[in-house]
Amino acid sequence: MLTVRDLRVSVENKEIIKGLSLEIKPGEVHAIMGLNGAGKSTLANTIAGRNDYEVTAGTIEFDGKDIKDLEPHERVGEGLFLGFQYPVEIPGVSNLNFMRTALNSVRRYRGEEDMSAAEFMKLVRVKAAELKMDLDMLKRFVNVGFSGGEKKRNEMVQMAVLNPKLAVLDETDSGLDIDALKVVADGINAQRRNDTAILLITHYQRLLNYVQPDVVHVMIDGKIVKSGGKELAAELEEKGYADVA
Amino acid sequence: MPELVTTAYSDQAASLDGTLAGMGHVRSAAISKFEETGFPTARDENWRYSDIKQLRGQAFSVAQKPPSTEIPDAICETAARLVLVNGRFDVERSNFGDLLQAMSIRPIANHLMANNDRANELHSGSDALTVLNTALMRDGLVFSVPAGVEIEEPIEIVHLMSGADGAAAHVRHLIELGEGAKATILERFVGDESTYWFNSVLQARVAEGAALNHYRLQTEGPQAIHTAKAVVSVGAGGNYNACNISLGASLSRFDAEVRLLVDGANATIDGVALAASRQSHDMLVHVDHRMPTTTSDQVFRTVADALGKSSFQGKITVAVGAQQTLADQSFKALLLARTAEANAKPELEIYADDVKCSHGATIGELDAKAMFYLMSRGIDPATARQMLVEAFTDDALERIDNASVADAFRDRIKSWMMAHAPTQLEKDVA
Repeated sequence: MLTVRDLRVSVENKEIIKGLSLEIKPGEVHAIMGLNGAGKSTLANTIAGRNDYEVTAGTIEFDGKDIKDLEPHERVGEGLFLGFQYPVEIPGVSNLNFMRTALNSVRRYRGEEDMSAAEFMKLVRVKAAELKMDLDMLKRFVNVGFSGGEKKRNEMVQMAVLNPKLAVLDETDSGLDIDALKVVADGINAQRRNDTAILLITHYQRLLNYVQPDVVHVMIDGKIVKSGGKELAAELEEKGYADVA
Repeated sequence: MPELVTTAYSDQAASLDGTLAGMGHVRSAAISKFEETGFPTARDENWRYSDIKQLRGQAFSVAQKPPSTEIPDAICETAARLVLVNGRFDVERSNFGDLLQAMSIRPIANHLMANNDRANELHSGSDALTVLNTALMRDGLVFSVPAGVEIEEPIEIVHLMSGADGAAAHVRHLIELGEGAKATILERFVGDESTYWFNSVLQARVAEGAALNHYRLQTEGPQAIHTAKAVVSVGAGGNYNACNISLGASLSRFDAEVRLLVDGANATIDGVALAASRQSHDMLVHVDHRMPTTTSDQVFRTVADALGKSSFQGKITVAVGAQQTLADQSFKALLLARTAEANAKPELEIYADDVKCSHGATIGELDAKAMFYLMSRGIDPATARQMLVEAFTDDALERIDNASVADAFRDRIKSWMMAHAPTQLEKDVA
């Protein structure tokens, strides 16, 4: 589903990703673990198409299609989703309006009809309830005044509404207490299907206790230095990055 | 300033002699004053940002009534629709609804004719454009809402300029609200592609406990010069609530002078200006707190694209003894391009010690993080920009008391974004 080959990415002329390759197949959950500054978030943002991140070499293929030159919104249309480490607050834009505009933008990209307001509300109600998100929060401005956990749950509601083929979740577990973590993990597991894939980016093993990965990668200084099964996460937790890598 | 321009206006004033009862000496006093001072220049503090060299260089003739014109569609339900074409009241095209049963609306000529002293009561003005309006005014409407009468639906005044190339309209409206009265005036300004000058003065008196909502939608033609002044006085516990939207004209200026004359008088003056390339929008406010416990609040949001320019000058004065005054002012400008310009000049003059006054001014660009966040959810850049600009301008529309007026203003802002956003698209994506 996602094939990254020999990827090199620079941010403000500084090389952050230094030749990274990754292959994710439908139905798989991958986790990339690494310390701060290893380039994990840069990878996630590059896959999503952030325009100030410059791809200097390598390819990113999604569903057999080179997406390197696609704009961020077009990548979403193709079925990508990025869960933000720090979801952005947007005063003046209501969460519901935001999600409905997003969903209909994606549908239009795919040549589908807009979803009616009634249908959309029905969908959102269900998804919000699954993620224990109060409907009132959805009427508020996007992420404004939300706690860290609420912001992350909001990301999960958005993911559920957009129903992507591949979700790249950047530190979705950070700043969550144990209850919120379980809710978010349930949201991720609900998105886990034979025809979808998930890339988790995380510091800690904690989330991986609730969302069992098929493959774990260790990222250090812009490269994947080691890959293995879920036991690799436990090993990292126990021995630390220096010893494992 | 070329002599010719001054002479032309002196001749115009002379030719208007006898057109409005009692105005003879008022006009001559005004034109003498204008001959003395002429048009302001950028050196005049209040005119720093409005470049009126076009007015200095060219005398605008008196606009004539065009052979035929199309009146723009209504933007919302209204109680009455009063139409002025090229500055002249067009009774045929106006619709008074049932309003005349509750209040009085009449041309300023009738108002002045009824009593010869009334001309002396007109605001003669200190700035050149108001002075010239006094010297050259030809028409306008007088609204009088008796004490206790509340008019719920907006009273719409449509100012239409058509085929008036090189011509000007100097319009004067008077609004009088009796004790506890309530009314909403929705002024619209529409014009064709000709180079014309629309210059209006609106005087309003809001009596004790009365409330006047004053909404303005300026969508003049692209070559137009629009200069408008509102002079408002508010009595005890009275309210003046204004919201001005500037979208059209090449040069546009809205200047509100609000005097809070008695305890508990309140004013809110908000505005949005969207300046596309080579447009200049200027909004000026002066709120004068004369007495204790008066309150005022201003929220202005402006957007400028390409070579557009938006400026705001907001002055708050608190007189000696006007204790427990509350006055707030917030100005924010958004620049959609590095070549756009925004100017902000907040000014506070406070002569009382027990007051709460605040002001804030910021000038910035669209938030790149918010743009990426919206795009990362599948929203295209043009729509994302539109959403952010609407969210930004919405702050200044919140106080509009009539939902259909607010919706109509939002629609206009949205259309402006749809018409102007594409120029910027490439830069966001690049």
